[in-house]
Amino acid sequence: MTQTEQQQPERSPAEWITFTVASFILAVIVGLVGYTWLNDNNQPPILSVSNKETIKEINGQFYVPFEVVNTGGDTAESVQIMAELVINGEVAETGEQQIDFLSSGETEEGAFIFRQNPGQGKLTLRVASYKLP
Amino acid sequence: MRKKHQKNVWNSEINDIIRGACGGFLFGIPLLYTMEVWWIGSLAKPQLMMMAIALLFIVVFILNQTEGFRKRRYNWLGYQAAIDTVEAIAIGIVCCAFVLLLLRELTLETSLKEALGKTIYESVPFALGVALANQFLGDTRNSEQENGKAPNKGGELHATFADVGATVIGATVIAFNIAPTDEVAMLAAATSPPWELAMIAASLLISYGIVFQAGFSDQQKRRQQQGIFQRPSSETIMSYLVSLLAGAVMLWFFQKLTFSDPWTMWLDHTLVLGLPATIGGAAGRLAI
Repeated sequence: MTQTEQQQPERSPAEWITFTVASFILAVIVGLVGYTWLNDNNQPPILSVSNKETIKEINGQFYVPFEVVNTGGDTAESVQIMAELVINGEVAETGEQQIDFLSSGETEEGAFIFRQNPGQGKLTLRVASYKLP
Repeated sequence: MRKKHQKNVWNSEINDIIRGACGGFLFGIPLLYTMEVWWIGSLAKPQLMMMAIALLFIVVFILNQTEGFRKRRYNWLGYQAAIDTVEAIAIGIVCCAFVLLLLRELTLETSLKEALGKTIYESVPFALGVALANQFLGDTRNSEQENGKAPNKGGELHATFADVGATVIGATVIAFNIAPTDEVAMLAAATSPPWELAMIAASLLISYGIVFQAGFSDQQKRRQQQGIFQRPSSETIMSYLVSLLAGAVMLWFFQKLTFSDPWTMWLDHTLVLGLPATIGGAAGRLAI
C-alpha cells in the first residue's frame, strides 16, 4: 500500500497538451521580447504632426483636427504640439497640446480650436519638444 | 470505461486551469486598473522584460512547490513544479492580454514593444495569483466534512440575504481600492458599447467560473445552497447586479459620480468598475 501511494502518478494526456500549449505561449512571448531586443537600435523618436482632415466650424468655433506620429525608435514623453494662426502678418491665435507618451509607430489624434477662420490666414502646426523617459 | 476516463481527465484539467485563472484574477485585477503599470509597461526595455520573466519564473516555481493551482498534488517533484510554473505564467499572460484588450489598453494599433511591456508587467501579479490560487480559497477537501449537514429549509430568505451580504462585502473589498482612482474615468472614456457588452459577458463568465467551476472551498456548499436565487445561472446574474450596484455606490461615495452627471456616464463608469467588483463579490461568497 505504501509503495503504491508513493508511485509517481503519470501526467494525463490533457495535462501534457496543456503544458505544450503553455510552453508555446511562453516561447512566443520570450521570442517576441528577444526580437524587439535585437531590433532595438536605440533610434531616437522621429515626430511629425499633420492635419489631414477638414477644418470644421461648429457654433462659431473652428476645429482643426491633427494627428502626430512617432516614426522613430524610442518612446517620446511629454510631446508638445503647437499651433499658430497668422492673419495679416500678425499672430492672431495660438494653441498648445501635450501628449504623455508616444511609442514607436504610434499615432495620436486631437484638435485645436480657434475663434477665427484658419482659412483666412496661415496656420502652422509643429512639434515643439519632447522628453526621453 | 475508456471514454469515461478520458472525459474525467479533460474535465479535471480544465477545472485546474479555471481555478488558476480565477486565482490570478483575484490577485491581479487591482494592478490591471493601475495606469502607472500601463505607462511603465509602455516604456519598458526588452532587457527588463526578460528579467521580469526570469524572476517571475523563480518566484512562481517556489510557490508551486508548496501550493500551486492544481487540485491533485505531486508538487514535491521539481520538474512537476517547473511544468506548472510554465503553465501558470502562460495563464497569466493570456488572461492579462484578454483583460487589457477588454479595457482598451491593448488595441490592434498598439505597437509590439508596448503591447509586450504592458502584458508582461501586468502578468507578474497575475501569475503570482495563479500560483497562490489554492492558498487563496483552499480547495474542496475542506468542505467535504460539511456535506452531512441537513439543509435548513426554513432559512431560504436568510440564505439569500447572506449571499447578498457576502457579495457586497467581497465587491467592496476589491473595488474600494479602485473606485477613488482616475483609472475608472480614463477607461470609461476609452470604451465603447461593444466593449462594454464584452465586459458584461466577461464579468458574468469569470464570476460563474470562480463560484461554480473552479473547485475552490465551499463550492459543494454553494451548489446545495438554499435561497431564492439558488440556480447557478440566477445566482451569477443576481451577484453581478448586486456588484454593479455596490460599484455605483462606491463611485458616488468617492464623488466620482454625482447626481448631476448624465446617466450614460453612470452606466459606463459602473460597468468599468463592475468587472473587479464582480470578481470580488464572487470571492466574497466563497470566503464569507
